[in-house]
Amino acid sequence: MSWRRTLAITARLLAQFRHDHRTLAILFAAPLVILGIFALLLGGGGDLPGVGVVNADAGPLGSAIVRQLEASEFVDARIVDTTKAEEQLTSGELAAYVVLPTDLTASVMHGAALDPEIHLRGTEPSASAATLRSVQQAMVAAASELAALGGLTVPELAPVVSYRYGGADLDSLDLLGGPFVGLLVFFIVYLVTSVSFLRERSLGTLERLMASPLRRTEIVVGYSLGFSVVALLQAAEILLFSLWILDLYNAGNVLLIFLVEALLVLGAVNLGIFLSTFARSEFQAVQFIPVVISPQILLSGVIVPVSAEPSWLQVVSNVMPLTYAVDALRAIMLEGANLASDVILRDVAVLAGFTVLMVVAAAATLRRRVA
Amino acid sequence: MTDAGTAFAVDVTDARKRFGAIQALDGITLRVPRGQVYGLLGPNGSGKTTLIRTILGLVDGVEGEVTLLGTRMPDREVLARIGYMTQAAALYGDLTAEENVRFFARIHGGGDVDAALRFVELEDRRSAVVATLSGGMRTRLSLACALVHQPEVLLLDEPTVGVDPQLRVQLWNGFRAMAAGGTTIIISSHVMDEAERCDRLGLIRAGRLLAEGSAADLLALAGADRLENAFLTLAEGSS
Ligand SMILES: Nc1ncnc2c1ncn2[C@@H]1O[C@H](COP(=O)(O)OP(=O)(O)O)[C@@H](O)[C@H]1O
Ligand SMILES: [Mg+2]
Repeated sequence: MSWRRTLAITARLLAQFRHDHRTLAILFAAPLVILGIFALLLGGGGDLPGVGVVNADAGPLGSAIVRQLEASEFVDARIVDTTKAEEQLTSGELAAYVVLPTDLTASVMHGAALDPEIHLRGTEPSASAATLRSVQQAMVAAASELAALGGLTVPELAPVVSYRYGGADLDSLDLLGGPFVGLLVFFIVYLVTSVSFLRERSLGTLERLMASPLRRTEIVVGYSLGFSVVALLQAAEILLFSLWILDLYNAGNVLLIFLVEALLVLGAVNLGIFLSTFARSEFQAVQFIPVVISPQILLSGVIVPVSAEPSWLQVVSNVMPLTYAVDALRAIMLEGANLASDVILRDVAVLAGFTVLMVVAAAATLRRRVA
Repeated sequence: MTDAGTAFAVDVTDARKRFGAIQALDGITLRVPRGQVYGLLGPNGSGKTTLIRTILGLVDGVEGEVTLLGTRMPDREVLARIGYMTQAAALYGDLTAEENVRFFARIHGGGDVDAALRFVELEDRRSAVVATLSGGMRTRLSLACALVHQPEVLLLDEPTVGVDPQLRVQLWNGFRAMAAGGTTIIISSHVMDEAERCDRLGLIRAGRLLAEGSAADLLALAGADRLENAFLTLAEGSS
């Protein structure tokens, strides 16, 4: 082995890095940005899941539990009445509500188990977990508090948990599967489209297209349609695989899921074309992944609900198309939402708007760096 | 088919284009009548490709005026009547020869695919995937893609570079035949021995046209016996 020859490769590589500022920036800046987002997401600081407490208990145990829940660092507990609790659970304002019945203290004093009702919304795994954990802790703390004062032995804990959407048998796959399907489709379609479109540029055939009567919009829309045919087939395949083979829970209309996926795919196709007008090589198109795609994956609400993000980060999430797709897929698959729902209409409109915006943007920037 | 009032197929007036510190076009004025074969001769980096792309309206930020078949450029509609063969054979490597030619015909509004393949003598390889063709075949196929829609003006950027002498003769016979049929051809080259085949020549260097005329005119002007020497003499005179 000749070190001279070997080091020639090493030196050449470093020289190439020196000339490629974009790669350097991505290498050194992107990990910090992505880790930063990750830390912000998991470090909390945003809204805690809302938990309503309906306290009908005449005795001291109910108020002790309420006090403990209000002090909890995992949930944002508030006193509500049953009607309001039901309403807010449906709208998503509350992640759960707890009912402490009239005879709670009395029956526990008679040796019965501590069995409040916990109504979970059930669409947000992290919120459900936080609720169950904080209610458990509050019950233990409240019961021990009263036991210390005497007159009460620490009871058995037997909360009665019910789910608004889905159910106890929904596993993480059911809860995360739908949004993950969207994410996967978005990512793969973006990758394939941007790399293929760049090949047109690097082969020199784009130059020939520009020297023909083809208008930029015709090139972009023609490309977009061609990729969309393949991408839609892919989306259909993934959807059927998820529902039939992986047996993902779905309470909604399969065609509506496909519509949301289709809009997401069209957006990804045109995002790929648009961004590839800023890249000179396939390599550079791939480099957009950590910059454009990763933050969307982190911030789309798949991992942590958008409402749990710090408020300025929520602004970022809310301008990303993937956020709306994830929101819609969750609502359809878990809650059985349909086109009559305002949320679905909004999500569908945003996704369609994004697609149109990308077509226009791609056509407008296509002229750049043809050569 | 003539546009009223213009005898020139290509009319460039005082074109200037700068890429950063490089003045790629430095005030070029060029008029090519219909049916002429115009040779654009100059060394590498002299601005030939930039001039051809400017004629097509593909270069942003060009000063000056370009008129193509009577149409002020940039304009997309008139490009249906123009053929452009890029310097490197730009083809779709995963399509067959025929599919490539058909695609370029369709984006120009139609053309005779069979005739184009016959013209470059590739009928027998029409079903071959481009990636399996030799370099010379790709060059010919690239030409077929440029002329399949029977353009009135054909812009050829160094079409004969890397082409063997026999094929070069064939191609030139083809160009002459097209010109005889009324097609205007602008052909760039850095090889002087092709110059005699053009009706008119323009010597370009550092973005300027040093001299124009037939091969004989240029020889007389420089008092030289070979075009190579004429070019050197004229280039010295200009600097
Ligand atoms: N897109 C571009 N960006 C920067 N410089 C360019 C670009 N295109 C051409 N040039 C420069 O303009 C000059 C003329 O180039 P070109 O027209 O390709 O010459 P030729 O075709 O005669 O070899 C060269 O110095 C080249 O480097
Ligand atoms: Mg050139």
